Amino acid sequence: MEEKQNNKKKTALIIIVAVILSAGAAVMGVLTWQGYFDKQPEEKSEGVVGMIVDDWETGIEDTSSEQKKGTQIPGYSSAEMKKGDTSLKLRIGNPKENEVGFYATLKLSDGTVLYESQLLQPGQGLEEIPLSKTLEKGTYDAVVVYQCVALNEAHTPLNAAESGFKLIVK
Amino acid sequence: MNKKMILSAGLAAVIAAVSTASASAAQLTESNRSGQTEVTARIEGADPGEVSYIIEIPDVVDFGMLTRPDVDDEDSYKNVEYTVEAAEINNLDPNNQQISVYVRDQNATVDGDQHFYITNKADSSKKFFYNVFDCEEGSITNSTDNIDSNTMTSAAGYYLTGFTAEGESLTGTLRLNQVQLYPHDLKDIVGDYSGYMVFYSMIEDK
Repeated sequence: MEEKQNNKKKTALIIIVAVILSAGAAVMGVLTWQGYFDKQPEEKSEGVVGMIVDDWETGIEDTSSEQKKGTQIPGYSSAEMKKGDTSLKLRIGNPKENEVGFYATLKLSDGTVLYESQLLQPGQGLEEIPLSKTLEKGTYDAVVVYQCVALNEAHTPLNAAESGFKLIVK
Repeated sequence: MNKKMILSAGLAAVIAAVSTASASAAQLTESNRSGQTEVTARIEGADPGEVSYIIEIPDVVDFGMLTRPDVDDEDSYKNVEYTVEAAEINNLDPNNQQISVYVRDQNATVDGDQHFYITNKADSSKKFFYNVFDCEEGSITNSTDNIDSNTMTSAAGYYLTGFTAEGESLTGTLRLNQVQLYPHDLKDIVGDYSGYMVFYSMIEDK
């Protein structure tokens, strides 16, 4: 009699476990179907920001063997985009050899600001930047302003550099 | 028999859950066709949007301690050298193109004040101008013109130099004449001063 009752208890326990596992499988299936696991973690956004990477490279082979003395500033010949594009392929960043921080701003010669970065530490940069506005077809005089700052708490301003280039909108 | 059926159902549920999780961890979708495969390539020359060159600029130029001269009828120069260098150049046509470098004070404008200044950090009304030369201190003679003796006609600044090859550099001199300090009472002008230069570069036809 007692053995029969024990068997009943075991059966009930197995049924409960099976129900829980089935429910878990159903939930996982629904979440996967809705793409929950494909979502990237949301980034904190302050104004216009871009995808900043930590292992940014200038893309130019370093052929010099000398010790760097000054602050390295990237320069460009041109950049291209299509009318209506909301992003621009432009390698903006702070070469890893530097010992200062950068605030980078992309603007047109008329003062229109298209992008402002947050502080870029040495080795940080972007390869594609989001634009604050779209542009009509044409060739624009553009500039990336690199405001150099000391990597102290106050981010003390240092000398600045500007890299001018042609921005072609097709 | 009943137990076996229940156990089989439970096992099937576990297998279903595990296989669903695995698929989501490494899915091959339309936007991720390559899976784990890394494809790399190297393209020579600077494409649009790529870095075409790198110049090195001084992050700071320090005049050090300035001294008020005893007389006001004699120049009292404080000179500091600076260097600008073409650290890397990619695919420039040196016969027809150059990397032009211009320089200006951060507050200089074509229509306004075009001088280079250092300004008292605590009181911006106290400031002293300095001159910029495109040669080493030892090369400066009485007949050497500072670049800011010309009128700044471009918003980029005063033309400083042009680079056509990697490793080319220019060592110039900043010169502050301390005789400017003479008319002031020392206690009125003591403090830390700073000024910021802006180096503008672009590829131009020669």
